[in-house]
Amino acid sequence: MTGTILSSLIFLASLGIIFSEKLNRTIVAFAGAALMVGLGMAYGFYSETQAIAAVDFNTLGLLLGMMILVALLEPTGFFQYLAVWAGRLSHGRPVRLLVLLGTVTTVLSMFLDNVTTVVLIAPVTILISEILGVNPLPYLMAEALLSDTGGVATLLGDPPNILIASAAGFTFTDFLTHSLPIVLIAWLVALFLLRYLFRRELSVPPANADAVLKLDYSEILTDRKTARRVLIVLGVAILVFFFHSLLSISPAFIALSAAAAALVWVRPDPAKVFKQIEWSVLIFFVALFIMVGGIEATDAIDKLVSLIKNIENIPTVLSGVLLIWVVAGISAVVDNVPVTIALIPVIQGLGASGMNIGPLWWALIFGAGFGGNGTIIGSTANIVVAGISGRTRTPITSKLWNKRGLPVMLATCLVTSVLYIVLFPLFSR
Amino acid sequence: MVLKDCMKRDVVSIPPATSVREAARIVVERHIGLLPVIDEQGKLMGVVRLHDLLSLELPDFVNFISAVDFVHDFGAVETTRPEKALLDQPVLSLMQPAISVDEECGLLRAYALMLQHNLLDLPVVAKDGKLVGLASRVDIGAAVLANWQNPQAVQP
Repeated sequence: MTGTILSSLIFLASLGIIFSEKLNRTIVAFAGAALMVGLGMAYGFYSETQAIAAVDFNTLGLLLGMMILVALLEPTGFFQYLAVWAGRLSHGRPVRLLVLLGTVTTVLSMFLDNVTTVVLIAPVTILISEILGVNPLPYLMAEALLSDTGGVATLLGDPPNILIASAAGFTFTDFLTHSLPIVLIAWLVALFLLRYLFRRELSVPPANADAVLKLDYSEILTDRKTARRVLIVLGVAILVFFFHSLLSISPAFIALSAAAAALVWVRPDPAKVFKQIEWSVLIFFVALFIMVGGIEATDAIDKLVSLIKNIENIPTVLSGVLLIWVVAGISAVVDNVPVTIALIPVIQGLGASGMNIGPLWWALIFGAGFGGNGTIIGSTANIVVAGISGRTRTPITSKLWNKRGLPVMLATCLVTSVLYIVLFPLFSR
Repeated sequence: MVLKDCMKRDVVSIPPATSVREAARIVVERHIGLLPVIDEQGKLMGVVRLHDLLSLELPDFVNFISAVDFVHDFGAVETTRPEKALLDQPVLSLMQPAISVDEECGLLRAYALMLQHNLLDLPVVAKDGKLVGLASRVDIGAAVLANWQNPQAVQP
């Protein structure tokens, strides 16, 4: 009993401090994990061995492998090259530019880290807007919103997907058959809605459309050889992802092998590459795993599960829709990673009690993914884009986001809910 | 030789209430790159560099993209002018803290400071903080090189 209360208290207090943003999230989680293990050993509800077993190395391996590939690709200028290419192809027509930049960002963030993608594409977007003489806001917001939306489509797209795939045993192709079709429709809805919400900005003809055609993209791809090598490795890795369940190998193994192959082929300065790895993100994940492991070691989750079972006599399809909106609401104001890590054992508990949890996993994926679009702080990509625009003459404000970003979140969640109900048999399998 | 021997003593300075537009006019008229801002007592408050004025017109992307070589045409940026409201505000909004030295400062120290702080002109102040002169990199550099022409000053 003491363990149940203590572990829940440590976790909830840590979440509270993370959400209050008084202290860096990794530091809070790190301290919370240490406290969980310490008190767990003192009161006999959690051990070091259990803590290590609670860490999902599949998620960590996949994240690390992809981070290494991105760290190799980033300095080649490939990301900026694609943005410039989109700019030239648009011939300076605003709507065409919105679609092209949005598509480039989405496709990249379906396979690579959203934040890296927007950090590298946003500056080029500001460049293209300025030489055209148009307002960069529609493009910047579209990049953040569409990359978050697109990320829901694949196993690699977003950390919650990796976490849920690992916990639920979903494969790369499961995402392509279950998530991708829904995301495709939600993405188009988001794009049309953005086109409508920014109709005034997008109707201003560019003052100088020819300038984009003079951008020299061969000059921006500074390391062609490395870019080609990393892209070949990445392409092969994505191909192997299609067959990972058939070959019975884990996504982590594929990502780490790809990273190893790329490192051997490119032979970069290792100090530079490993400095680019976001260790604080990886430590944040480990600490959250250890904290949630502490709760799992007690009967706190069983209690919560029986509580949910008692009040919940509604059909699974409705609890799925409810889960989409509740998780989306929470993810709009807080980081979706701790929310996902905390909900995984709850859903597993519901599964152990005999419920068909397949649909709930997908609801969690959609809610956590689309919810991030709701506010300026809803996802790291939003925070980063707002930060970049904050250093320009046209900053993205919280007020602007509520007017142009929140409707996108609501629309994608609504479309997803409808499709979820219509396609429910697909998710139940 | 020290700084007071090579600095310019006829310095154009402005009070903090000067408008941005007026500051720009003085820069154009006098063809200078730095405007020291002084208070009523003549003490140095800060500086407005040519770059601070130009930053009102420089596009934002220059701050994000480290090598703009691939942008062969700045397009609309070349014909964009700052808003009127920006030009009417006092230069105080653009003023930067000044790095200054006193009159007795050695030439090589002055030059090294300019190099490390990326300064093109160096304000010179008296002991009481009053602005007394201004030295450019060329003023200081030429004064150093002048020594080389003197056979006794060069090591054998």
